[in-house]
Amino acid sequence: MESLQGDFARLLHRWQAQTGMTLPLFATPGKGEGRLLTPPAPTPLDKPPLLEVHGTTVIALKFKGGVLNVGDRRATAANAVMYDRADKIIPLDDYTLIAIAGAYGRAMEVVRYLRHAFKYYARSQLQPMSLEGKLQEVSRVLAANLPNALSGIGLFIPILSAYDPNQDAGRIFFYDASGARFETPDYGAAGSGAERIRGVFDYIAKTKGAFSERPLDEVLREAILLLDIAADLDAATGGIDKVMPTARYVNREGVFEVPEATLRELVQSLRGG
Amino acid sequence: MLTPYDFQENLQQRAQYIRNRLQAGSPVIGISYDNGIMLLTTRRRGRKVFEIYDRLMLSAIGNQADVETLRVAAIDFAHQEGFVRSPDDVTVQRVVGFALSPALKKAFGDPLTTPFVVRALFAELHDTPERDLFYILNYDGEFTPAERFAVIAGTTGAEDLAIRHLTESLNGTPTFEKAIPVALVAWGIAREAALQEDRDAIPESQARERLREELQEAQLEVGLLERKTLRENRFRLIPPEQLQGYLRHL
Repeated sequence: MESLQGDFARLLHRWQAQTGMTLPLFATPGKGEGRLLTPPAPTPLDKPPLLEVHGTTVIALKFKGGVLNVGDRRATAANAVMYDRADKIIPLDDYTLIAIAGAYGRAMEVVRYLRHAFKYYARSQLQPMSLEGKLQEVSRVLAANLPNALSGIGLFIPILSAYDPNQDAGRIFFYDASGARFETPDYGAAGSGAERIRGVFDYIAKTKGAFSERPLDEVLREAILLLDIAADLDAATGGIDKVMPTARYVNREGVFEVPEATLRELVQSLRGG
Repeated sequence: MLTPYDFQENLQQRAQYIRNRLQAGSPVIGISYDNGIMLLTTRRRGRKVFEIYDRLMLSAIGNQADVETLRVAAIDFAHQEGFVRSPDDVTVQRVVGFALSPALKKAFGDPLTTPFVVRALFAELHDTPERDLFYILNYDGEFTPAERFAVIAGTTGAEDLAIRHLTESLNGTPTFEKAIPVALVAWGIAREAALQEDRDAIPESQARERLREELQEAQLEVGLLERKTLRENRFRLIPPEQLQGYLRHL
């Protein structure tokens, strides 16, 4: 709160200096409502904001025997669409998928590190790293990234989907920016569109049964539909029409990509074509 | 009796010592086939075919600890290079020629260290079989590239005989199903020729017999790097039950 007030006071001061106007009396700085009335700050005195590229919505759904990940292809910087072919769902090894929302550059660097770390372990030790070991490693890189995230750049939130050979089932984990890890029983999502569609997951699971009990093709259809809704509700989410989303899944046999043609057919049938 | 130190004699003795110890090693046959590249050998105890990097694998004969040192050095170099630059910059030519060969040469030439007892075969996968590469790395740091197929065995004579068999049996790029039986016979020839020196030919029947005998105590090991695969890792070991079919017609 302290810093919000400080920020506000600085903005107010600058605005007054530049426009010669004062704020209406009912806008009390520091009580919340003042923020709403703050005019967009002209920025010649500021450094230009760092335009960081962000990935938007990724969704992880369990299906019978594994986990499906779907992500739109859009990457944004402020309100500009920077890239519409971003791949935010990346295999880390044959049993693990990572889905990335947030700072694209930092996330890709971390993914490159994790891929090498997991493969290096498996190749040099002649056995794959345990699921717990991989999850810890993701926590560690997020914790190391925290100073960056606090300074306003490089914040990203991953969802980790894995096939767990001990339970013979798919598992989904999500993280916060400080590296805390949580497991989710049926589905997870991250990115700007994720919060908007939260209720839809619940609705589908409660009306049609848990995702983890349904076959892959049904769950894939639900995932594409969810992404479509996210794009309707969130300007930063790329959706399913212009460029096909990415869809990958992991099960006992490994990590696989859903072919673009399959996705195209699915989108056409969702559009009633 | 004290004799003046003779550099050449020292090297010859070391080489002789290593060659004697390599002679009993189980040969490794490498063949590049249409959808990948394979290394075939037998094992009695630990693993013999190892993944080094995304498109690179290794098998070797020699002292287990020396093979392990070589393997870990190759993996370390490849991953550092792949992370700092890119996976495309990890090539067998650089791993063998730059990272490993000078160290082997140094250990071999230094009278105060034990030399490596090792002869290694690297296989590097490319987009087409014509561009696949094998590298044979010797205990003294010498290395030789090869295309299409390559053999390491207990003696160079045995390698030559196995290569002759591969040259005669493989015209063009084989399929996996065609390559395995040829590799099995080549293994038998190389093994038999290494055990009985000074043979200028080994009949196929004798080679098969040798392999049958070996498989009573040992297990076949085949490692692949697959050219087209949906899996994230191109490397895999073929499960033994999948090889049973090929052994029935031995």
